[in-house]
Amino acid sequence: MQKGHILKSLRSLRAMVIHPPDNQGQELLAQLVRIGCKTETLWPAPKQFFDDVDLVFLEVSETVLRMAPSSLADSGMDRPTLVALTGYENPSVLQGLLDLQPDSVITKPLRPYGVLTSVVMARRIWLERKRLQARVAKLNVKIQNQQTLNRAKVVLMKLYNISEEEAYRRIRQQAMSKRATTVDIARSIIHAADILGDARSKNGGQ
Amino acid sequence: MANVKTRKAPWKVGVLFSQSGLTAIVERVQLNGVMLAIEELNERGGILGREIVPVLYDPASKAGRYEFLSERLLGSDGVNVIFGCYMSSSRKEVLPVVERRNGLLFYPTLYEGFEYSANVIYGGAVPNQNSVPLASFIFGNYGNRLYLVGSDYIYPRESNRVMRHIVRQAQGEVVGEEYLPLDASKKMMEKIVSDIKSRRPDAIFSTVVGDGTVKLYQAYKDAGLDPRSMPIASLTTSEAEVMSMGPEVAEGHITAAPYFNTLETPASTAFVGRYQRKFGGEGREVTGCCEAAYFQTHMFAQALKRAGTQDTETLRKALLGAEFDAPQGTVRIDPDNSHTYLHTRIAKVDREGRFVIEREVANAIKPDPYLVYPALNDWRLGLRRATLEDSQHTAFNE
Repeated sequence: MQKGHILKSLRSLRAMVIHPPDNQGQELLAQLVRIGCKTETLWPAPKQFFDDVDLVFLEVSETVLRMAPSSLADSGMDRPTLVALTGYENPSVLQGLLDLQPDSVITKPLRPYGVLTSVVMARRIWLERKRLQARVAKLNVKIQNQQTLNRAKVVLMKLYNISEEEAYRRIRQQAMSKRATTVDIARSIIHAADILGDARSKNGGQ
Repeated sequence: MANVKTRKAPWKVGVLFSQSGLTAIVERVQLNGVMLAIEELNERGGILGREIVPVLYDPASKAGRYEFLSERLLGSDGVNVIFGCYMSSSRKEVLPVVERRNGLLFYPTLYEGFEYSANVIYGGAVPNQNSVPLASFIFGNYGNRLYLVGSDYIYPRESNRVMRHIVRQAQGEVVGEEYLPLDASKKMMEKIVSDIKSRRPDAIFSTVVGDGTVKLYQAYKDAGLDPRSMPIASLTTSEAEVMSMGPEVAEGHITAAPYFNTLETPASTAFVGRYQRKFGGEGREVTGCCEAAYFQTHMFAQALKRAGTQDTETLRKALLGAEFDAPQGTVRIDPDNSHTYLHTRIAKVDREGRFVIEREVANAIKPDPYLVYPALNDWRLGLRRATLEDSQHTAFNE
């Protein structure tokens, strides 16, 4: 996601303000309207979280944190961008921030200045985290596939007394003729070896 | 103390415009706008029987002076309202002071947007109100290859970001982008102009401010360039700069502003006439920023009359959503963002150094200070030929 895109998309963001309807909440709401986000407010905090929101502002105090929707507490890939609002800097509130892992923080008393900067920074961090999470997931799959292939190669090498290159060549050949991926073939080989191994150890059992 | 009660105490207001230094050329006229309005109000008996008394300081276009003097105004002078500031840097100095002391700053100057303070009433245009109309006029009449030149501070940088985006929408091209220090020398100007000459844009978009403006237009003239085929289009070159560069240098160049002193409506003519009587001359140095300073002072007075107090909260309530028949036409303070609905006009300098208004938008444009990318095809910003009959300007009266 490009840096310019964050600024361009500001006006298409659907924002949700989870904050009591006091002066601070009103001030934030008015500033978000100026910035041009589509903004809704909600109080008290809902148990469940909606998936049609891009940006959530949530007051974090020791009591509010306990009420935070469970879907927010998990910084997984589906969580919207989260901006925490804090009025205190004491350790229990700070611990709350560490637990919640918001993408940005606005300290109260809130001033209109800085809200836009916080939103932009939060979006940047959120997009970056999303990108990294997707990358990590992809790398995980890659590593697992590599392990599967390696195990399959070892099976073939032992079985036919062939080199690693030859083992890989056979797996690939199978994959091409069966129109499957090398990983699928590798899995079948491991699976078959397991069954044969079980059978052999039972047959030759003392 | 007993004396004060028998003779009603005046309403004191602070006025903070530079009367010397690099931006005095513009700020002096803004100061006059405020002083003219105050005189008119006092001639009519003041507000609720109390005279308005300005407390004037000259920050001399110097960094640091605006903060110091606004502190003095709100602190020791006991003032609650300040009219002042031209450059964004000066507004940024005054801002923390009015916020901390909960005063009100009336800022009668165009600026780059992306600001909101409950302690400021913004009276000048933000980019959505003037950049798009100016660009569409240039594209329609000259072409879409632009050369951008500005003074090196936030307003030109941000204006050019907006302009680059508008040019892209028109599938045009930015063929050059240069920034100059505020006190740029003649030599620097000549260098830029020779670069312009070699790159041959369809027009030059200038946000050079202050004394540099005169030097730039002079260098353009000296290089033998022709405004009929490659004009300088500006948001900041006003009547004051044109007067100081002379008509032979300014002729043919273009400016977009909410107001020009050549606007021939009863309200505008009366305004210029009164300015003339007070300050002498022909009133030809009256600018859009002067008009903004003038109508903001009247809007303050109108609100003060309703509020009966200079208390910031009460005044602000009376100001937000208020309308006023300004010389430019009816203006209104947008309650959403404390900026002002303004008219937009495009004018070309004639042989006598007067701005001839060529186009205008039909209705005052809502300010949108947080708009990142103004759209070139926004029909609300469509221009029409400027004709007197169509305008619905109400004459200003008491």
